[in-house]
Amino acid sequence: MHTGLRRLAAVLLGGGLLPWVAPAAQAAPQVYDLDPAHSFVTFELLHFGTSTIRGRFGPLEGQVTLDRAQPAGEVRLTVPVATLDTGWKVFDHRILGPELLAADAFPAAYFIATRFRFDPAGGVAEVRGEFTLRGHGEPLSLVAERFSCRQGARLQREVCGGDFTGRLQRSDFGLTFGLPFVGNEVTLKVQVEGIAR
Amino acid sequence: MKKTLSLIAAAAALAGAAGAARAEAATYAIEPTHTYVTFEISHFGTSTNRGRFDKKEGSVTIDRAAKTGKAEITIDTTSINTGSDGFNKHLKSADLLNTEKNPTAKFVGDKFTFNGDKVAEIAGTLTLNGKTNPVVLKAQNFNCYMSPMIKKEVCGGDFDTTIVRSQYDIKFGLDWGFPDNVHLVIQVEGIKQ
Repeated sequence: MHTGLRRLAAVLLGGGLLPWVAPAAQAAPQVYDLDPAHSFVTFELLHFGTSTIRGRFGPLEGQVTLDRAQPAGEVRLTVPVATLDTGWKVFDHRILGPELLAADAFPAAYFIATRFRFDPAGGVAEVRGEFTLRGHGEPLSLVAERFSCRQGARLQREVCGGDFTGRLQRSDFGLTFGLPFVGNEVTLKVQVEGIAR
Repeated sequence: MKKTLSLIAAAAALAGAAGAARAEAATYAIEPTHTYVTFEISHFGTSTNRGRFDKKEGSVTIDRAAKTGKAEITIDTTSINTGSDGFNKHLKSADLLNTEKNPTAKFVGDKFTFNGDKVAEIAGTLTLNGKTNPVVLKAQNFNCYMSPMIKKEVCGGDFDTTIVRSQYDIKFGLDWGFPDNVHLVIQVEGIKQ
């Protein structure tokens, strides 16, 4: 079935209301490839209890699959660690060095998630999965501050994305250098947009 | 005897407080490695585009007794850094920041509001793209600490404000729904001179 027709059918049939008419197999999941111009993660952590240190990784790489009929989803996202940019080269080298991210040994961080929570309008509200950093995996929840889809005018394809926030304790990943002068709690601010394949 | 001692102690404490008050006016040089302005602007209502200005300089004078202060920070607009070369180039172009004509932006803050001895708000002016408008920076955090590395007092915090970019004649994309409001997130630390 044509994608548009299938979406129309899903809307008309109300998805879960008549599941026998629209079985999962027919409601094909849609894959979105991350848009490198709009997929970055910024981390924030407190410096001497005074001001917030920020740094950016990205563009992020990977795919998000949304199966709105279920509803369900999957994220497979890679963070190329060497893309770190704090605005201060010396600091970048320190963070990428063996005492912290050990980027030579662990050049990528990963976020793999299959536990999606959707809002009543069908938007993604929260994604829970595993974040692997410096070769160590920990559970991570990314909560949507906003999420929406639009028809990309230039691309002529659907674009979905939003802003997500996550929190982690860096010591959980073995990143203890600089404690306690530089905070343990790290806030992740994730900008992500995906283009429908 | 006991009473005399406590009087002496009280007098000493008062003298100490007065001495401290006289010495409260201090100048802090901006620490560039912990001073950044990041802008945030909505992208089609979907996600937030961010960019950071990497080069800046300036100083802040604070008199915690008199509850006054002065801040002057100059930002090199050519140092805009979004992580996307195309976006950086467009931001620097005549469509937006026009950095060839206006290579610097400047914040001058001269109305400090204190909450106790912490800075709560700084009102002043922002000059951007050759236009000057009033702005108020609100503190999310403010604190001073003795740096164990440089053995000097460092004061700083996190501030934010929202500017209306059309007031600075930065109008590209307004007609297509790119918002007029831009959120500025500011990290600042200064070393006592």
